[in-house]
Amino acid sequence: MSLAAERPRGQLLTASALIGPATIFVAVSLFAPLAILFRYSLNDFDKTTKTMIEAVTGTNYVHFFTDPYYTSALATTVEVALLSTAVCFVVGFPLAYVVARTQSRFKHLLIIAIVLPLFVGNAVRAAGWMVVFGNKGFVNAGLMGLGLIEKPLEIMFTEKAVIIGIIAVNLPFMVLSLQSVIEGIDRSVEEAAFSLGAPPATMFWRVLWPLALPGILAGTILTFILAMNAYATPYLLGGPLFKMMAPLVYNQFTQQTNWPFGGAIAFILMAVTLGLTVAANLMIQRRTIR
Amino acid sequence: MSDLFTLRRRGLLGGAAALAAGAAWPAHAEDKRIVVGTWGGDYSRLLAKNIEKPLLEPKGWDVVKDEANDPPRRAKMLAEKALRRGTSDIQGLSAANMYDVNQQGLVEQLDYSKIPNAKNLIPAMKYPYGIGQIYSGKVILYNPKIIKRAPTSFAEAIDPKMGDKLGIIDIQYQYTLVAAGMASGGSPSNIEPGKERLLACKKAGARIYPSNEAFAQAMKTEEIAVGIMWKARAVQWQNAGIPIETVAAKEGVPMYISGFAMPKNAPNKPGAYAYLNAMLEPSAQEAFAVDMGYNPTITNAHVPADVQKRIGFTPEEEKRLVDLDYGYLAKNDVAFQDWWNKSFKG
Repeated sequence: MSLAAERPRGQLLTASALIGPATIFVAVSLFAPLAILFRYSLNDFDKTTKTMIEAVTGTNYVHFFTDPYYTSALATTVEVALLSTAVCFVVGFPLAYVVARTQSRFKHLLIIAIVLPLFVGNAVRAAGWMVVFGNKGFVNAGLMGLGLIEKPLEIMFTEKAVIIGIIAVNLPFMVLSLQSVIEGIDRSVEEAAFSLGAPPATMFWRVLWPLALPGILAGTILTFILAMNAYATPYLLGGPLFKMMAPLVYNQFTQQTNWPFGGAIAFILMAVTLGLTVAANLMIQRRTIR
Repeated sequence: MSDLFTLRRRGLLGGAAALAAGAAWPAHAEDKRIVVGTWGGDYSRLLAKNIEKPLLEPKGWDVVKDEANDPPRRAKMLAEKALRRGTSDIQGLSAANMYDVNQQGLVEQLDYSKIPNAKNLIPAMKYPYGIGQIYSGKVILYNPKIIKRAPTSFAEAIDPKMGDKLGIIDIQYQYTLVAAGMASGGSPSNIEPGKERLLACKKAGARIYPSNEAFAQAMKTEEIAVGIMWKARAVQWQNAGIPIETVAAKEGVPMYISGFAMPKNAPNKPGAYAYLNAMLEPSAQEAFAVDMGYNPTITNAHVPADVQKRIGFTPEEEKRLVDLDYGYLAKNDVAFQDWWNKSFKG
């Protein structure tokens, strides 16, 4: 065999050796458990002995969509995810713009300040919010101390607390996604728009928005997915009466040991998250092309 | 330059063989290691202080903890059911949970001849599939500053008249259902009459807390002033300065028993038996009574009189101690949780 023929084969082996471990790792650690979980979701469950029974049935999926308790949990999850993503975008865009455009030598400190909340785990951060939101917490004690309210506000264990908590977790992801894209947009195109008489709103809508769209898409998708799958924040701040999908999955697996139904809820959550993400992506891309 | 990063077939096969050899390297047999599944926090710390360090380590045992709440540990036991060797030797569970995991075929039937200290066990703490280590009773807790007339029964405590001063713990749904049932003419084997009472309390503003700790916090801040909890926890909270008093309800005192069971696929069964025996030593049982406020499950433990007075029950109250109907609870647990989540909380 000639040396010339040996080289491409060697390069192929090298490429395989380099991408092989990561591919195998992803395949084994992601797809294999998903396949097993999906199979479980088609099994039956014996309620008296709390054990899984081998079967191939869609009962668990039918049960989910015919019981208002579960469909309302899905609706709440989508609502909270959409709302927190929208707030993250509205609050995050101006901040990302300022960070991207600033010439200050303290710019890196600004970025660190944005990333800083991510240094703390979700559960620890939620514990901090619990201190702030409690009946005798920072907010209520402050407002009562100022004489603005007589009775403490009910913040803890409400949807409000969950949305605030999720926004606090997701905002850095939105800001960083937007900031990196805005930084890549040449300042002169904005100046060109202004010099041609465009007011700021028109410049934003006709110039900045289309050019920043990849970052907007990345940021909204990332924060939406994180919000849909939030576990620690709704569990700790939402309390026992608040229902979101991820805590529901956990409850079915651990508390009720109903793995088939837990598996079905997990797949429904995954499918809805993926479906809404793809739909939003296509919708925005079509509008841009127009 | 690119040749530096080019692998030949022989090199690739050699690397793969080396990796495979590494993966197949035999694990050392850990004959003296006992893996204990347990709750974390104080309980785990006291297991180390009162059982592992004084009684097991001197005999050469090396105890490793797998700390988590019981639902994920039970889920793990279930996930490992098909494995020849599981990952834990012994699991700390409540009596109700021990019954559940036995029903699911996850735990070993114990050979009591290997547990010499078991001869002193109170009969109610001895199961074919597990052993009670500590016990307490579900009592009424109230804040005397806010509740002027002490409730004497579950009927007076779990009462819509308490409004938003009544606190209910979400994870204690079984005991809450049992207590509400007893308050409404039911029993530990029939909780149905209590459902209406609970719905009325919720309608009247009763607050629901996710955990025991959140309930204690609410008692401390006086957000609530009455509820039910194990007497041992109440003693701990009193020690922490939470203003509460306890009452053993007229209808009865449902017992809470916590103990240990051995998974069928425990890798070190002699180690698990050694642990079970050590936890029944009088010194360990007495120390748990002093440190944690739970009653010993053996007859030869001598708890100091002042401690006994605070954590124990009077002879009159002891007559009212009632064990749960584990078979009834296990059989209907899914239905109870459904009702609790959908009708009561939903």
